[in-house]
Amino acid sequence: MELNLQAVRRVFEDVLSGRMLREQADRWAHAVVQEEETGVVTYSPPHERERIWAGVMYLYGIDTMTAPGAYLHTDDDIRKGMIASIDAVGDNLAGDDAAGYRATAAMHHRT
Amino acid sequence: MTIDDFRTSMGAASLDVRRSAGATTERSAFAAAVVPLRQIPPTYPDQPPSPERLRQIDRAFFGPFFREKYGAGGDRALQNHRIRYYGPVQPSNNAGELAGRRYVHEFDTMTGLTRGWHETLDQMGNVRLIRPERLDGMKRHYQFGSNGRYERSW
Repeated sequence: MELNLQAVRRVFEDVLSGRMLREQADRWAHAVVQEEETGVVTYSPPHERERIWAGVMYLYGIDTMTAPGAYLHTDDDIRKGMIASIDAVGDNLAGDDAAGYRATAAMHHRT
Repeated sequence: MTIDDFRTSMGAASLDVRRSAGATTERSAFAAAVVPLRQIPPTYPDQPPSPERLRQIDRAFFGPFFREKYGAGGDRALQNHRIRYYGPVQPSNNAGELAGRRYVHEFDTMTGLTRGWHETLDQMGNVRLIRPERLDGMKRHYQFGSNGRYERSW
């Protein structure tokens, strides 16, 4: 399995846009963790491994609840989590369509 | 204590030895009288290391395998030969007294088995929810009060 930042960001975006359930994102991340344990995950590019893994580990458990039917995290938490994990250093990916999310979150940070 | 603490202690001990050697040169006639009794009990090859020493060795030896992936928030060696690695707390700003969640990865140094779970912490750092997962993927939340008492599960 080859994993890159775009793939992780896409899952974040799908969750935030409602295209993917949090439970599905959690299962996706869980599958990555399982694959990592068996050593079959490669990170592309390799030097981004830390950020990619941080994003995966945020998504793993993203469906945690505080009560039946009540998620722990708000969408805003997830947006900030995405920035804190995979956008921690800032990057310039080709075809990157997450600029809107980052701009929204940046505005939120200012308020 | 970490491996860095060991290094620091070793450095300090080496420094003490050098200082002692200098002192002995200056006051050789009194050296025998001022040498203190050895405070640290000697170790023998057939004497097993203490449990605390074993935990320190475990943490140092197994750290590189797990710390980078799961131990960004720290790690702790337990008395039952297990090491717990704590992920960073992912904050939640809309959950009242709950501060956030983290992933915990536990490694058994005797069996080589691992297990993991998510736990939710309150603002005081108490674990209020844990969410283990069965091998078949079944997830379940267990909730605890601020006093640590089990309340319910779903």
